Amino acid sequence: MKGVPAKQAYDVIIIGAGHNGLVAAAYLARAHLRVLVLERREVLGGAAATEAIFPGYRVDTGSFSAGSFLPRLVQELNLAQHSLEFLEGPAWAHALQLDGRGLTFWRDVSRSQAEIEQFSPKDAAKYPAYLEELRRHARLLQATWTMIPPHIPETRWSELLSWTPIGWQLRRQGKRAMMEFTRALPMPAADYLDERFESQALKGALASASAFGGLLSPGAAGTALMLFYQAIGAGPGAAWALRSVRGGTGRLSEALAKAAQAHGAEVCLESGVRRVWLQDGRAAGVSLESGEQLSARVVVSNAGPGQTFFGLVGAEHLPVRFVRELKNIKYRGGAGRVALALADLPDFPGVSGAGKEERLSGRILLAPGLEYLEKAADAAKFGRLPDNLPLEAAIPTILDASLAPPGRHLMLVNVQYTPYRLVEGDWEARRDELGRRVVETLETYAPGFSRLVLDWRAWTPLDMERIFGLTEGSHSHGEMGLDQLLFMRPVPGYGQYRTPIHGLYLCSAGTHPGGGVTGAPGYNATRAVLQDLSRQTGVVPGRPD
Amino acid sequence: MPETYDAIVIGAGHNGLVNAAYLAKAGKKVLVLERRPVIGGASVTEEVFPGFKFSVFSYVVSLFRPEIVRDLQLTRHGLTILPLESTLTPLPDGDRLYRDADHYRAMREIARFSRRDADAYEDYSRSMYFMAKAVKYILGVVPPDPTSLHPRDIGELLRLARHFLGLGEEQLFTLARLMTMSSADFLERWFESEPLKATLSASGIIGTFLGPRSPGTAYVLLHHYMGEIDGVFRSWGFQKGGTGGLAQAVALAAQSYGVEIRTEAPVNQVLLKDGRATGVVLENGDELHARRVVSSLDPKQTFLKLVDPAQLPDELVADIQRFNIRGSSGKVNLALDAAPEFACWPGNGPHLRGAISISPSTDYIERAFDEAKYGDFSHRPYIDVVFPSMIDPEMAPPGKYVMSCFVQYAPYRLRSGNWDEKREAFGDAVVNTLGEYIPNLKNIILHRQVLTPLDIERMTGLSEGNIFQGELSLWQLFFLRPAAGFAQYRTPLRDYYQCGSGAHPGGGITGAPGRLAALEILRDWKS
Repeated sequence: MKGVPAKQAYDVIIIGAGHNGLVAAAYLARAHLRVLVLERREVLGGAAATEAIFPGYRVDTGSFSAGSFLPRLVQELNLAQHSLEFLEGPAWAHALQLDGRGLTFWRDVSRSQAEIEQFSPKDAAKYPAYLEELRRHARLLQATWTMIPPHIPETRWSELLSWTPIGWQLRRQGKRAMMEFTRALPMPAADYLDERFESQALKGALASASAFGGLLSPGAAGTALMLFYQAIGAGPGAAWALRSVRGGTGRLSEALAKAAQAHGAEVCLESGVRRVWLQDGRAAGVSLESGEQLSARVVVSNAGPGQTFFGLVGAEHLPVRFVRELKNIKYRGGAGRVALALADLPDFPGVSGAGKEERLSGRILLAPGLEYLEKAADAAKFGRLPDNLPLEAAIPTILDASLAPPGRHLMLVNVQYTPYRLVEGDWEARRDELGRRVVETLETYAPGFSRLVLDWRAWTPLDMERIFGLTEGSHSHGEMGLDQLLFMRPVPGYGQYRTPIHGLYLCSAGTHPGGGVTGAPGYNATRAVLQDLSRQTGVVPGRPD
Repeated sequence: MPETYDAIVIGAGHNGLVNAAYLAKAGKKVLVLERRPVIGGASVTEEVFPGFKFSVFSYVVSLFRPEIVRDLQLTRHGLTILPLESTLTPLPDGDRLYRDADHYRAMREIARFSRRDADAYEDYSRSMYFMAKAVKYILGVVPPDPTSLHPRDIGELLRLARHFLGLGEEQLFTLARLMTMSSADFLERWFESEPLKATLSASGIIGTFLGPRSPGTAYVLLHHYMGEIDGVFRSWGFQKGGTGGLAQAVALAAQSYGVEIRTEAPVNQVLLKDGRATGVVLENGDELHARRVVSSLDPKQTFLKLVDPAQLPDELVADIQRFNIRGSSGKVNLALDAAPEFACWPGNGPHLRGAISISPSTDYIERAFDEAKYGDFSHRPYIDVVFPSMIDPEMAPPGKYVMSCFVQYAPYRLRSGNWDEKREAFGDAVVNTLGEYIPNLKNIILHRQVLTPLDIERMTGLSEGNIFQGELSLWQLFFLRPAAGFAQYRTPLRDYYQCGSGAHPGGGITGAPGRLAALEILRDWKS
């Protein structure tokens, strides 16, 4: 995969081998286009990569869940053939509580109810209805994932027509459900959960899905939508689409790359793009950091919007208004990452015996209440690391022993509400503090934890930016706020994957529908590219299968 | 049973009075019932201390609909708005930001903090002017039900779509941002200097239990821009004789059409017969009958107190129970022995005839909110101050002054203690904060009235002391205000209507809910 591009001219050059870039590569290659994917790093996958951080371990350095990856992509690209396998345990989360108790969310709803019962019998009774409602909302939202947002205000009838099935789906749910959906969209996750439940243990755990690697607190309007977003693909018993990939998330990226290559695409690693070069105002190819120039009819950027336009194109080639909007994109990454090589499974009180591995087979959440999260977000918005860290962790070795040497375990921890901008000091100097704080925190919930730690490594939001090219450490290449979704993503007026530069397209999570390992931006961008190519040539690129 | 009245309106707040006036103007025989000895609801002027008159609650006017002023000929009945032309933001370091109606002077002043901001101020003002004009349209519209297939609803939805899509790309995107962003983020698109951003963003938090960085507050900011006095947008004013004067003017207009207003007549229940309203029972047991009953009280009282919730659909009861009506503000009214001396502007000056905003930075207001979020009042709150007697000398004895301080945040629900214990501590926090900017303040206070959200609730009847009868959150606006399916001023009970700020378009002294409800009632009367 390494090495040099075989040709000098391509139909499509894709900048970045993140999962969205690879999805686009696979689909475009499948349409008989000559596709080249250029990746700056030495590993595939962008923020969906698995790397050998500790000897003998395979560590997901980006996302460690691929539960929301669109099933249609798995089918259409035959990813199972390329050894993609999703794993899910009997529990989707285990929430640690301040008093040492734990609340396990099983995929079996009645088993979860029995757990919730210990915190609130009332909430336990309401839990199945909540999951059902979440599923309804998630289904509606998922239908929008594979839609190209309409061009507003000059919407074409054909665009509107393509949205009617979603309108119909909404209508069919009845007046009440329709209003409930409309009402819920702009709500804060906290209010949404407060209306339904009383137990802080339950609400905190459910709300922790709403942070989405950003700084928006559960009290911020629009975060209820993230609960629905995270539920897409969750399956019947879960509120959060959490599934891992056998061998690490990087295996998904590898499967995508293989699918693309099977259709003739080339993927080159360690081939950083320095510039998108323009000819007569349209994208004509790219020049590499090595100095080489490659031409293409179409360039698709899997880099974030800011990086694409300021880093690779140059503001001088862009309309003033567009530049202004780009500058105003809010990124606001808010998650740090710590990976820990463990000698053994940690001992959480109340989690022992035969059921231990089962209980810890999903996410391990430290979000014991809405206020716990809210206070953490308060600290982060002023540039401080929270006094009490909210954690979203997993021990992927429970389901997949191949990720660590025999008998050992790997723990991956997302530290929520870790600000990119610090009011005191800088991340270079404080990186270790992040790791230390995580170990200390886990020690209080699992006494003896620190003795199990064989090795660890921390990534700050600044590291995310430097290593993965995630501006301000934003996993989703832009905050998932109401003002940056749909036709407003990445900027208003350019929500259709097209850009002011003809022949240049975007396919990162910075476009609709946004973050997560969904593949949707890559898939939609492909459709925009194919639409435009067929419009230019009058020939619809071929569709095999 | 003889039907004495065509309509009984519960509550003589400004919306109840506007509603009554419109009904009576159409020839109906209307009775307005007010619990308190004074009319006006939250729009009252009272002589709290001998010689000192206060607009006890609501203290400035801007949003009142011009069509109501015209229709009811309110200027003939004493409506006189004195302009409040400037805003002073005193700063802790002794500096100040002073903006007055002279746009160029304001720009020069802003340029002291940031040249870029001064340039952007022009753009910003123009943009908000257009946005307010565009959105003002909805203040005059009965919210259509988007789930309904009734031609009237579909027609109105199409008209709305045409109106907004016709705004053009740039305006539409700005509108989309205003509907979704936080006021701080929205303003950061234009400005960089803290005092300006913070002072502007304060309009986004008034009456809500949200901070300037909470998404959704940009809409509240816009809501406060929709004001218009004598055709001048975004101008704020002060009713001569205090805000009660406005209610008086509406009451006089209403009376001129034959409306009867009865004070000290608290309503206990709405009389129902076969699922329709037939009148009211007063707390003293008197029954009064009418063909239609209109409640100007907030949704919680309209649906859960005045009628038996068992008479209503369960879904509506649940909707009203979850309707957010969290009180977040308090008021401190001070009687002063002498003129206040600002550290940033000693002596007398035009600033005393404008508004004073204690909003040195966005973080300052955000921190005030963070404190309130967990159930405490802000110890260093955002305060909006006016000196009504500087504009209207009749409000205070000669040489003395009245000072009105609107304070955020004061959460209705305190985590520890109660408001009766904490009232004075809250008052002290306000006076101490102000004292940092007005060094002589503590020495010139003759009397002090501290109104906590609990006091506002007790006195005006506003649930939780929420000045808007329900927060202006995105999910509580338009066809969702106060509840889905009941945003057209009707209720599930025949002949029982709502006309308060808990209905579209919401709070502020707009009169719009009262007017729109009257138009709907009259429409039902015809059919």
